[in-house]
Amino acid sequence: MTTDNLQMTNQQARVETERCLQCFDAPCIQACPTHIQIPTFISMIKSGNIRGAAEVVKTSNAMANVCGKICPEEVYCQSVCNRANEDAPIQIRELHFYATQSEARNKFSQVNPFPKSGKQVAVIGGGPAGIGCAFELAKLGHEVTLFDGKGLGGVPKNSIPSFRLTENELQDDLKFLSTYFSVKKEEITDAKFSQLKNKFDAIYLGVGLGKDRPLGLKGENLSGVYPVLKFLEATKVKQKKMSVGKKVVVVGGGNVSLDAAATAKRLGASEVILIYRRSEAEMKVWKSELEEARKQGVEIHFLTNPFEIIGNMKVSGIKCRRTTLSKKKDASGRPIPVEVKGSDFILDADTVIIAIGQSIGSDIVNRFKRNSKGFIAVDKNYQTSMKSVFAGGDAISGEGTIVQSVAHGKQAAHAINKILLGKK
Amino acid sequence: MKKSKVISENIYSEIPIYPLRDLSYDFLGLHWENPFILAAAPSTDELEIVRRGLQMGWAGAILKTTSIEGNVVDLAYPMMSTFNHDGKKLFGMGNIDLISEHHIDKVEYNVRKLKKEFPEKIVAASIMAGRKEDWQRLVERLEKAGVDFIECSFSCPQGNIGEDPGKMLAQSISATELTAKWVKEAARRVPVSIKITPHVTDIVDVAKAVKRSGADALTAANSLQALMGVDIRTFVPYPQLNGKSTYSGMTGPAIKPLTLRTISEIARNVDIPILGTGGASTWSDAVEFMAVGAGVVQYCTAVMHYGFRIIDDLKSGMSHYLDEMKFKSVMDIYRKALPHIATHDEFTRRKIRSHINEATCIQCEACYLACRDGGHMAIDRNPNRIPKVDWDKCVGCGLCEHVCPVDGCIEMRIMK
Repeated sequence: MTTDNLQMTNQQARVETERCLQCFDAPCIQACPTHIQIPTFISMIKSGNIRGAAEVVKTSNAMANVCGKICPEEVYCQSVCNRANEDAPIQIRELHFYATQSEARNKFSQVNPFPKSGKQVAVIGGGPAGIGCAFELAKLGHEVTLFDGKGLGGVPKNSIPSFRLTENELQDDLKFLSTYFSVKKEEITDAKFSQLKNKFDAIYLGVGLGKDRPLGLKGENLSGVYPVLKFLEATKVKQKKMSVGKKVVVVGGGNVSLDAAATAKRLGASEVILIYRRSEAEMKVWKSELEEARKQGVEIHFLTNPFEIIGNMKVSGIKCRRTTLSKKKDASGRPIPVEVKGSDFILDADTVIIAIGQSIGSDIVNRFKRNSKGFIAVDKNYQTSMKSVFAGGDAISGEGTIVQSVAHGKQAAHAINKILLGKK
Repeated sequence: MKKSKVISENIYSEIPIYPLRDLSYDFLGLHWENPFILAAAPSTDELEIVRRGLQMGWAGAILKTTSIEGNVVDLAYPMMSTFNHDGKKLFGMGNIDLISEHHIDKVEYNVRKLKKEFPEKIVAASIMAGRKEDWQRLVERLEKAGVDFIECSFSCPQGNIGEDPGKMLAQSISATELTAKWVKEAARRVPVSIKITPHVTDIVDVAKAVKRSGADALTAANSLQALMGVDIRTFVPYPQLNGKSTYSGMTGPAIKPLTLRTISEIARNVDIPILGTGGASTWSDAVEFMAVGAGVVQYCTAVMHYGFRIIDDLKSGMSHYLDEMKFKSVMDIYRKALPHIATHDEFTRRKIRSHINEATCIQCEACYLACRDGGHMAIDRNPNRIPKVDWDKCVGCGLCEHVCPVDGCIEMRIMK
């Protein structure tokens, strides 16, 4: 996942397509959660049928342009590319993005009219999970109303930094999709949910997470301390030129914390330190994004645990302690960090960003059975504990990828379709 | 790096959302679903294989060449070899295959079965014989079985099941005319197409002979006789059969320009429908074939290399091309290039010079070298490695443009 990447040139794309082995039953197709017919679209780029290539991509993935830009190819398609057995994997994501961008620049292809089932489905959540489901349901002939207090876009719109995904790149998907279902800019509260339940034949929840987990430390309320989503949204949606000061400390260890750190660097901080209580091996990040953050000058202090944020009204530093990893493992299978006595030290900070994870923000979720991690529990058909109510995306599995959420939405749509048609 | 693989199971099939454009049209008195058909080859020899091809969207198939009963088809293996070029495998493909090993009864059965299962598709047969009664008997039997047209192989470059062993039928003008007449005489219902060879002194003379015979069409061309290569350590050429080799019929991308020339020569000089074959791999190849006079385009090597699935790109690519060109039907492409083909003395002589785009130049100096050693020493070097054309020396030959690795970096411009 490179940042600020430019689209491939025609020549670069063509040369890259020539490397593709055109495997039969290609592993890349299976590795992509939305199962894009990768060899087919690559052969189309090679033959000069770039519009056809974009159509193949968009047939499988509703958020085609967004995924083309920021999908972590190293964990999906490219991780299983057979060409890597010879030299290096095909740059699948780059080719995908080349195709979707070319189409977007030259007017979207006309889509077949969809059938009409007469069934109505409400989708709650305008992010990738909701969009993936809404578009697939529309294709299947159902009338979809999508509700989201912030409108269409979800995480890609609200919190992915614009140096990774620009508004225009997102709009290239949203403009295409928004004609196939209606979007209501309306927050669905617990009270409104009951009304929807009566009005619609089925409901799908793609509510995502959205609520920052607090550290629970003294000083977390000081000015200059931000929960990560608030920080990212403020820098992105509100287009506010934030002042982060010279020294920024980010507490975290996931991809979102890297986004925050890189954003802080871009906002002018001279020193950005990411502290993580375990070691690099335990970080739940994509290697390329970690590299990128380092390239931008983000320092990462491993085996470091914060225990107090200090300052007078405004934050001035964060008290930390060194850790070591014990042999015992936690529920996630990672070793438990143990604080080292007498290793306390203070990191000076003008801004502290807390990025230690998120939980579901929507209050509707209290109606549903949850799994052990607190996410919405679903069966293999993505159905929740409530009949005719389905869920997908981060709300069922925690912080995941966009493409994973789109795939959840798609699969749930097929399960919903089965039930709706069975009802007839 | 090796990972364990499992045969995957599709979780759900995609809902197609993009409309398929109607590519159908009429040609040779037949209705074609699209201009892409399967040439007589291994891909059209087995019922199950042809069925898969037609199901996947090919407009039709010409079943692998059949002959009269009693002729033993004595194949030798291995039969395939390739011409690899510049790191690209299968730039050309060679075969020493012969005709189908199936008995004519089996071929008839396949025709009946396929026509029943795919009444809208074109099912044709390819035949080859020696004596008049054999040619005519084949035509009658296959016509009765229900074929849509018959292709007569006058040009199998490997076999010698002709009247004159070692020579292809289509290399003799008189034999071509005579044999084509026999075939046409026997065909009551369906059109016949004579598959000729480019291995002649004058292709137009052969085409004229086919026209005189009354045959309905001509298939141009066939594979080209080639020696696929020589093992430089054992000196046995390819393919190697126990220390020996022979000439192969070469097909694939390598022969496309030769086929384009053959088709266009015939189309410009003889008024007869042409089925194009030999070197077409992509949708744009089909556009080129049709532009020089082919009414349909046959595919073989590309299918043997990449599978029937290439039809998806052929149809999609052709559809988008027609949209882009605002063409109503593929027949809008037909013969479009012919008025642009002229003879050397017909060209207007103009002053042309090479222009190098400094912004896109990648400083490889390939153009400098080519012009120095193979042109007019008209390109000068510079300390910044961006070459400069000396317009007094440049004659506008165009060599530099073609050796330049960057698309559009060098172009030839008309000088005022």
